Amino acid sequence: MAMFGKKGAELVREAKQTLATTDQFRPFNKDLFEQVVKETEEHYGHLQERMSQIRVNDSTEGGDPNFVGGCAQHRSVLRNKRCLLAYVNARMSKIKHLRWDLGAVLPDDITGNLSATERTFFQGYSDALSSYMAEINLDLTVDSTPPKDPYVQIRVIGNLGEVLLDDQETSLLPHSIHFMTRTEAEPLVMQGLLEIYQG
Amino acid sequence: MANYYDLDDILMEEEYVTVHFKFEAKGLGVLDPGSEHDDIEAGAVVDIPLWLAHDLCLRKFVSIKLPSFYNERIRKEIQADASCVDLGRYCPYFYELGLRLAPISPDPTLGSFLLYCLQGRYKDMLCKAHTVALTTAPKFLNLLTREETQLFEAARDSVKSYNKWRFQGARLERAAVLGRKRRLNALLSPFELT
Amino acid sequence: MEHVTAVVELLYQFGVNSMAGRASTELESSFFSGAEVEFLAEDDMVVIVPSLRMDTLHLICGDFGPFMPQVPASVPLWLGIAMKKRGKCRLRAPEWMSVENLTQVLELERESSQEFQPLPFHYVEVSRLLLDNARDDLVDVYMVQTLIEDIRNVRFHKVQTGLQTLSGKTHAVKLKNLGAMEVSLIRPFFVKALEKFYVHDNEELVQPSQGETDTPLASVDRHPRRVLRPR
Repeated sequence: MAMFGKKGAELVREAKQTLATTDQFRPFNKDLFEQVVKETEEHYGHLQERMSQIRVNDSTEGGDPNFVGGCAQHRSVLRNKRCLLAYVNARMSKIKHLRWDLGAVLPDDITGNLSATERTFFQGYSDALSSYMAEINLDLTVDSTPPKDPYVQIRVIGNLGEVLLDDQETSLLPHSIHFMTRTEAEPLVMQGLLEIYQG
Repeated sequence: MANYYDLDDILMEEEYVTVHFKFEAKGLGVLDPGSEHDDIEAGAVVDIPLWLAHDLCLRKFVSIKLPSFYNERIRKEIQADASCVDLGRYCPYFYELGLRLAPISPDPTLGSFLLYCLQGRYKDMLCKAHTVALTTAPKFLNLLTREETQLFEAARDSVKSYNKWRFQGARLERAAVLGRKRRLNALLSPFELT
Repeated sequence: MEHVTAVVELLYQFGVNSMAGRASTELESSFFSGAEVEFLAEDDMVVIVPSLRMDTLHLICGDFGPFMPQVPASVPLWLGIAMKKRGKCRLRAPEWMSVENLTQVLELERESSQEFQPLPFHYVEVSRLLLDNARDDLVDVYMVQTLIEDIRNVRFHKVQTGLQTLSGKTHAVKLKNLGAMEVSLIRPFFVKALEKFYVHDNEELVQPSQGETDTPLASVDRHPRRVLRPR
């Protein structure tokens, strides 16, 4: 039974949660989302029913009861639509940030929490950004905070193995400490594989 | 007008207001728990969410009754000591809801009352926001509406980030979305470091 | 050293901020972070005393040098710090960072409740960068540090008392001589607060009372447009 926006509001609360949760990416709430879509369809059905019963040229003062009811159904459709779009929009803005924070390849546990369309969106957004950066020949995702020295000292957290740094093959073993250019270190720090070491 | 995608605006519109139906409405019986049939009769008094009430009111199908937290008793409380009133408990969207209701409400003083409220409470927030101890959640935070809380937190965050800058300086950190405890193993191998 | 006379205005741009501020509370991208303000401060000039000979540096922001041992030279702060870290120079504290000057500023700051004393626009950041990176080149380090912290506290308190009366008619607030970091610290709160007042204090909502004396509330809405600090 159509509940006049109750489920929609729940979905928006979920969207707020998604934005407020900073230490993980909440899964797409497919179940709730589909319930709201279904409810919207119900409202639409009711709207059509009311419309079919409106008597044309009704001169009763103010409102035909069918018109009053129809208006409420129509509002409900619009309301649910707004809730659905707001939910999608909130997640979308967060997905964009993932590209800037983590780069083009997302870890599996985050990818798993995206819906199929969201994955497509991420891919498209990521490709657009990459090709733009390739065109202007500048990595826009580095230096998210104003840079200090061009070189930083880092400590390895993840297991990286052999990596090409500054055109030299370097072996980044866990817990070892290295000196490298900030531009090279930044994406790896953001991904949690290295940390800035201040000795 | 608020942003279409503004989550808080959407939730604010979910607040319930009491309306008086001037006409019969077909198929809205669900909204009235007291109603036995599918329709709402003319003259019925029903609680419905603002987003619906607002539209029906503009079409003059219903008239709106102001929620009780805008009544004379609360106004007296605010006059007595604005900053001590627990507006957050009455309605987390006290101001926004009021703003939306003011143009369609029968009471022309609602707008000035909201402004008076804001002015009375703002000073107190100003003093506390930048100085209150950062670690403890102050008791008076519970008295604030959602909008006031946002204002308060804006101030607190800027003090926090100033202190962070003051004592640690800027540094690179890993992305927050990865969570704290996660340990990454070699699952992200194809790095291109050119 | 060039003296930046700081006239800071918290310009209230309703159209621009209202959406951005609300939509992304997590990422207040319209405000400067501490690190960013510090970055801007690093362009202030500072006097260094090189300890070795070095050729002219051709940089985007200008040419600096050639450097001769023991001959003071003026360079941007970031360059000074970079050279200091590599042991190529000593940094000289700017004149305003002396204990005498700061003591005097603090006194004046306490005396007048209406005005801010002229200090460099980036005094908070510059002093911190120098204290962090060139402690051994400064004299009376602890005294200087405490004085600056005190000055900042006194001034901050003044800002707060000065800004207690906002209304929807406040479109901009003029705070002469306020520093970059001080502004950046209060900006998020005040921009938001101004926004709220703008929304609430509006002709359509706040109708002038038409002889209704039953409520004293109706009379609160008229404030003159107000400049908080005299020029």
